[in-house]
Amino acid sequence: MPRTLVISPDKCTGCRICMLACSYRHFKVINPARSRIRVVRLPHEPVDSPIYCIQCGLCISACPFNALSRDLRTGAVKVDPEKCTGCGICVHVCPYGAVSRDPETHKALLCDLCDGDPECAKVCPEGVLLYLDPDDAAEYKRMAFSRLQRREITPLKPDAR
Amino acid sequence: MTGGKLYGYAGRILRVNLSKAKIVEEELKPNLLKFYLGGTGYAARILWDSLERGVDPFSPENLLIACTGPLTGTLAPCSGSVEFAFKSPLTGIFGQTRAGGSFGPRLKYAGYDFIIVEGASDKPVYLSVVDDSPEIRDASHIWGKTVHEATDILLEEVGDPQASVACIGPGGEKLIRYASIMVDYDRAAGRCGGGAVMGSKKLKAIVVDGDHDIEAAKPDEFYEAALEAIKAVGKQGRGSLGQFGTVGGLLGLNESGALPTKNFQTCYYEEAEKMSGEELARRYLLKRRACMGCPIGCGRYVWVPSGPYMTPPHEGAEYETTDMLGVQSMMGSLEPLIRASYLCNTYGIDTISAGNAIAFAIEAYEKGLITDEDTGGIRLRWGDADACLKLLELIIERKYIGDLLAEGVKRAAEKIGRGAEDFACHGKGLEVPAHDTRGTSKSLAIQYAIGNPRGACHIEPIWSPMWDFSRSSLGLGELGLPWPPPSRFEETGVRRGEACRLLWLYGELASILGICRFSMQGGEDEILTPARLSRLVSALTGWDLSPKDLIKISDRVYTLKRCFNVREGVGRKDDRLPKRLMEPLATGPTKGQKVENLDMMLDETYEALGWDKKTGKPTREKLKELGLDDVSEVIWGG
Repeated sequence: MPRTLVISPDKCTGCRICMLACSYRHFKVINPARSRIRVVRLPHEPVDSPIYCIQCGLCISACPFNALSRDLRTGAVKVDPEKCTGCGICVHVCPYGAVSRDPETHKALLCDLCDGDPECAKVCPEGVLLYLDPDDAAEYKRMAFSRLQRREITPLKPDAR
Repeated sequence: MTGGKLYGYAGRILRVNLSKAKIVEEELKPNLLKFYLGGTGYAARILWDSLERGVDPFSPENLLIACTGPLTGTLAPCSGSVEFAFKSPLTGIFGQTRAGGSFGPRLKYAGYDFIIVEGASDKPVYLSVVDDSPEIRDASHIWGKTVHEATDILLEEVGDPQASVACIGPGGEKLIRYASIMVDYDRAAGRCGGGAVMGSKKLKAIVVDGDHDIEAAKPDEFYEAALEAIKAVGKQGRGSLGQFGTVGGLLGLNESGALPTKNFQTCYYEEAEKMSGEELARRYLLKRRACMGCPIGCGRYVWVPSGPYMTPPHEGAEYETTDMLGVQSMMGSLEPLIRASYLCNTYGIDTISAGNAIAFAIEAYEKGLITDEDTGGIRLRWGDADACLKLLELIIERKYIGDLLAEGVKRAAEKIGRGAEDFACHGKGLEVPAHDTRGTSKSLAIQYAIGNPRGACHIEPIWSPMWDFSRSSLGLGELGLPWPPPSRFEETGVRRGEACRLLWLYGELASILGICRFSMQGGEDEILTPARLSRLVSALTGWDLSPKDLIKISDRVYTLKRCFNVREGVGRKDDRLPKRLMEPLATGPTKGQKVENLDMMLDETYEALGWDKKTGKPTREKLKELGLDDVSEVIWGG
């Protein structure tokens, strides 16, 4: 059974080493604009958050050129570079902003889970990115989902003792 | 290293002339890279070649150079650095100042290693270097705005929320001589008044981003070396530096009698517990934040949520700020300190110099050298945080005594006179930071006195007490670092000069290669030792550079910067300590410690550096050995 990439977002310091490593793994260059994972830092708020592909597959059926398919071994959405025209429909439909286009080739940049060995999870110095068995990963997914339901999204106030 | 493709570098310089509103691109010069590698090394050569002796730092002839090094923005740990180099309006000598954040990396992704700003604009402008189309744009709508306001507006204006903004606040606009250049809201290139140089050029900000690749000559070797280095340096992220920030060291320094207090009268603070990194984490820390590419994450994202000292969330309250603004004036509480730190950030002035100036003013007031008339009625007293905050506002607004303090303590003391010089703590005009010549280590006595390149500084070239205070060899054993180190209080006959030379040349590599010095301070297993740096730089650039080669390049850069200062008139006569920093400490574990043999320590160090003992100039032989014959001609005559 394929494993799942999940995050424990509170630990992220925003170092963006995952982004640098992602571009290196795929292109042997350093260029965060070519990373499939994007760390977002919100100004004036205590938020550094890795935005990554949860492999939902919404983009697969949206692709007009059948360039996207599910890799059954890793569970990742795969791009066929021959078929991908760089039209950007996948970027358009992704609700999370987890898909982008390569600045050079304009082809889709979609997380391929590094063929079952995601580099970002290996390099993250804070252990934010985790590559887990699906059952363990589900715990993290539930936590992430419950956070969305938290009414108060401002940070907890410091202890007022 | 001859011609061909450059690896690790973007390969280009952006030269911006604000007087003519003209932008040109230039290639990096391979012959200069070979000699100086990059960063402030390459920039030092540009400044040496371009600036005439005696040029006014506020004149259009001064340059402001934004520098990256070969390692900047790569996967080397802590490579989020940018350094700015210029002639300092605070000291009148070589100015360099560093910030983290993401400006340096993004400058390289934008396709440039350096931006050289020359001339001056008539009206406020900013420089936009995004989408491969560098432009000088009008900034009249943001002139007068704080750093935080201006950064918000600029990010929206360029339409790229991930871009990096380096800008000045009202401090730089008002030419406060220690105005900072602020990067990504809160990362400060604080020292030497780079912000005032920008202000004098009417340059409010530089915005950078891009999507160019950085390539390594030997991709697999580089990646392997980078991962190993990230793992090593990342250990510090689990340690005190990562968990409690730089201010996590405050209590330890206090217990060692090394926490400068009350304008350097003592190195022990009774109420240190209240100002500690632990207390900060307990009550005000929202999260840890790292600069780009940093596995340590010393940044403190903090706030004061309510009350008279309220601040929005921001990165602040690191060690230097906490000591200089909070402990020196003996605030006794973190909330006003966090507020003061926030004000310095968003108005764009250096927290170290500002804190030093405030402590100096309190002492001057206590001694009756300045009065209520000078302060606009504010009664300055040790431990009165509200008075300190009011004085800080006077500095920011350049009102009453604040106008004089905005010139730095050297100029302020000269103006006040009547013995004020005796407790004005600066070296070559740069306000002394939060480490002491008597309580911390005698290595700092030499470091502050020589003050190369930028005056009395604890971290440029390096925090040399790493050797005798923290007892780490930093991987310099093979290069000849004396070991074991002596007691930190012994002055002469303990090879201190030799050690300082090697420590400084190692530290200087940070500003040449484009990395943060916190990746170079600690045990050998958790830092970028010379061996790790050599491996990284060699695989990245494809040039085979051994630790020895790196030290030699560093020697050349360090020596050239000294020559820059020599050309401005600096010599042995200027390699002095302020009187206060030689006097016995008043209280605490290091009570009675003083500096007795400065001249002998200087002799030993000059000898190690290859400098002439009489004049303090690098000798002809030394300059020849480094291939700086043309420089030798200028400072010694043909």
